[in-house]
Amino acid sequence: MVPLNAYLAVGAIMFSIGMFGVLNKKSGIIVLLSIELMLNAVNINLIAFSRFGFYGNITGQIFTIFTITVAAAETAVGLAILIAIFRNKGTISITDLNIMKR
Amino acid sequence: MLENAWLVPLFPLISFVLLVAFGRQLKEGAAYVGIVSLLSSFIVALGILFERLGHDAENYIQNFNWLTIGDKTLTVGFEITPLNALMLFVVTLVSLMVHIYSKGYMHGDERFPVFYTYLSLFTFSMLSLVISPNLLQAFIFWELVGAASFLLIGFYYFKPSARSAAKKAFIVTRIGDLGLLIGISLLFWQVGTFEYAGVFEAVEQGLVEPGFITLTAILIFIGAIGKSGQFPLHTWLPDAMEGPTPVSALIHAATMVAAGVYLVARTFPLFEASETAMYVVATVGGFTAIFAASIGLVQNDIKRVLAYSTVSQLGYMMLALGSAGFIAGVFHLFTHAFFKALLFLTAGSVIHAVHTQNIKEMGGLGKEMKITRAVFLIGALAISGFPGLAGFFSKDLILMSVYESGHVTLFWMALIAAVMTAFYMFRLYFLVFSGKPRHNANVHESPKNMTIPMIILSLLAIFAGYIEFFGFGEWITNNGVIAEEVEGPKWIMYLSIIAAFGGIALAWLMYGRDNKVKTGEPRGLHKLLFNKYYIDELYSTVVVRPYTIFGYVLKFFDKYVIGGLVQLSVWFSKAIGKIGSRLQNGQVQAYGLITIIGLVLLLVSLTAGRLLG
Amino acid sequence: MTGEYIAFFIFALMAISGAVLMLNLDRVIHMVLSIGLSFIGVAGLFVLLKAEFLAFVQILIYAGAITIMMALGTMMTSQHKEDKKLKRKGHTIFAILGATIIGLILLNGIRTTSWPNEAANLGEDNVIEIGMAMFTKHVIPFELASLLLLVALMGAIVLAKKESDK
Repeated sequence: MVPLNAYLAVGAIMFSIGMFGVLNKKSGIIVLLSIELMLNAVNINLIAFSRFGFYGNITGQIFTIFTITVAAAETAVGLAILIAIFRNKGTISITDLNIMKR
Repeated sequence: MLENAWLVPLFPLISFVLLVAFGRQLKEGAAYVGIVSLLSSFIVALGILFERLGHDAENYIQNFNWLTIGDKTLTVGFEITPLNALMLFVVTLVSLMVHIYSKGYMHGDERFPVFYTYLSLFTFSMLSLVISPNLLQAFIFWELVGAASFLLIGFYYFKPSARSAAKKAFIVTRIGDLGLLIGISLLFWQVGTFEYAGVFEAVEQGLVEPGFITLTAILIFIGAIGKSGQFPLHTWLPDAMEGPTPVSALIHAATMVAAGVYLVARTFPLFEASETAMYVVATVGGFTAIFAASIGLVQNDIKRVLAYSTVSQLGYMMLALGSAGFIAGVFHLFTHAFFKALLFLTAGSVIHAVHTQNIKEMGGLGKEMKITRAVFLIGALAISGFPGLAGFFSKDLILMSVYESGHVTLFWMALIAAVMTAFYMFRLYFLVFSGKPRHNANVHESPKNMTIPMIILSLLAIFAGYIEFFGFGEWITNNGVIAEEVEGPKWIMYLSIIAAFGGIALAWLMYGRDNKVKTGEPRGLHKLLFNKYYIDELYSTVVVRPYTIFGYVLKFFDKYVIGGLVQLSVWFSKAIGKIGSRLQNGQVQAYGLITIIGLVLLLVSLTAGRLLG
Repeated sequence: MTGEYIAFFIFALMAISGAVLMLNLDRVIHMVLSIGLSFIGVAGLFVLLKAEFLAFVQILIYAGAITIMMALGTMMTSQHKEDKKLKRKGHTIFAILGATIIGLILLNGIRTTSWPNEAANLGEDNVIEIGMAMFTKHVIPFELASLLLLVALMGAIVLAKKESDK
């Protein structure tokens, strides 16, 4: 049986990669995908704990369903925002968006 | 009336505030604000004086707690003693005269309201100084008087000479003020109170060591030296003549310079307790009297002659006080205020007419300016000690006090100074008013609001001396509480009359008879006197030059060491700012990165703590 | 080495390599496709964890819907390549450092904690259990989730709508 550690390790690695993607990628779409990646890493953890946790039960899976729901909503809205930005500025490169500087 | 004495300084304060607020709109109407407020003050002061004249009237004192520090309480308040009442009367009267006179003299000046603003401020502080019941309050107003005087001397600030004169007056008097401050602080440390009454009581009961009394008395006297222009801090007073002439009359003749004398008179019991201090006061006063008078002999600027005369007369007062002649000193302070203010006002009237201050360019003014000539003559006679005029009585009293105290040298010095006084006053008179004109100005008599104050003051210069016969001495000393009256031999009086006539006659022989003006460079003793014993030059070589060099060193240090440090810190903060502003580049990812790094640092520090400890 | 281990390694490799590929590929569309691989790997891990229903949902929503949506988004914003002109050396270094250290801290935490070893009994049929829990215990969050989806739907439409008809 594969131990809990292994699943958690996979989750941690994916989470770090996703974080790096969020911090360093220039395309807005890839940033959104990186966020999805991080959410996925969290999902792995949730399900692993629901099976192997101290008080393992089904709630972990339920929680994952909600996470997926929220992720889907986030993707939809995020993509809509990117399209609106693209329409106004002609780019979705994150580095070009420095309106907060002013 | 006595309990309302605080009204006296209040009126000029109100006038000051009003003029600061509305001076610009009032223009020359500002004069009326000043005059009306001063008139009110004068009436109150007059009321106080009359009420205080009753021989059995008590000293009135009222105090309010100001600060309580530990078990020491500082108070503010006011006090009416005979000396105070007299000073209030003199200051308000002379100030009123000057206010009226200035309306004519300053007419057409661009900063007319400003002038009256400063006058009000000055009068307020002077009156407050006079009624202060403790040394601390007195010191506060003492400094305020100095500040107002600085403003007034530098009134013509566009003239470099006026600017430097104002600075000089401020700095030189500051040296004296420092002495005064140290003296007051030492007294407080030793006695635990600033109150005059408390200090005198402690001194009387012998709670303070004699050496300590001498020290504090001399320190307070240093303050008086600065303010009253005694040697060696006299140099600012002649330079202060750069101010408008009414200011010279008010400040540098009758009131502010008298503050030093007043202070010594007020703290007289302290001085009386120390023979050394008394001797110092008498010596400095006597020396100043003859020293300044000798300089006054040869000066050509009408106001400067009067300035040196003031220094000399103040020296007289100090001499009197130092010789235990409290009455004589205060009496001379009283009479001198009138005739010296009068002389300055007439000088102002002359300057107003011929637009020069050099007496060699005047002459023959008596024909056109009859009133001015008459009142100047009265003033000159009064200051020379002509029998029957104010100065005669007070000077006589001073000479008697000095003689009685046994300082024979000082007595003869005072007598010689009296001859000199008569001489330089009549040198002025003959050169200015008699003979042929040496100017080509179109001379007019001054307007009425200038002549009337002069006439009033000339009446006082004639009659002020007669109060001696109405128990002045008893009254001013609270029936002999402060000092004893002195009686001297009659021959002193005749000697002083001879001195006065001698001086006048000498002046007539040299300047009045043929009325010629010597030209050419002054030589020998004359040159020494003309250059005021080179005191200014001496100070500038001994004190100012090393200071300037020291200043350059400090400037260098400041520029390269301190400035370098400042530059370094500037550079440092700039660098930090640059980093900060680069972080604020408006990009979400940068902000996110900073957040993550913060989280990392937090986690690392937490786990590191757990690993290590 | 049981079959379960082999399967785990394969799926974990898929998930991580998909993620790494997403970071390193050039064209945006390739990135999107590589993350699809990662999603499928995660779904495999779900199966190994006896969460078959969620594995199904994962493939349906992530590998299916979201990846396709992103691919469409990429086409609509006509961004085919990452812009490599802008170099942010310091930024990149710090991002690598930050992510790495966070990962290391997490891994260290995972390694040093002693985890329970028994698997919980989640019932024979996963879907029934989930359905029971979802519609009894968690019915209110469920309703709220549907509300959230509705709002997101409307928000996306409003944001992406052309503004020409204003």
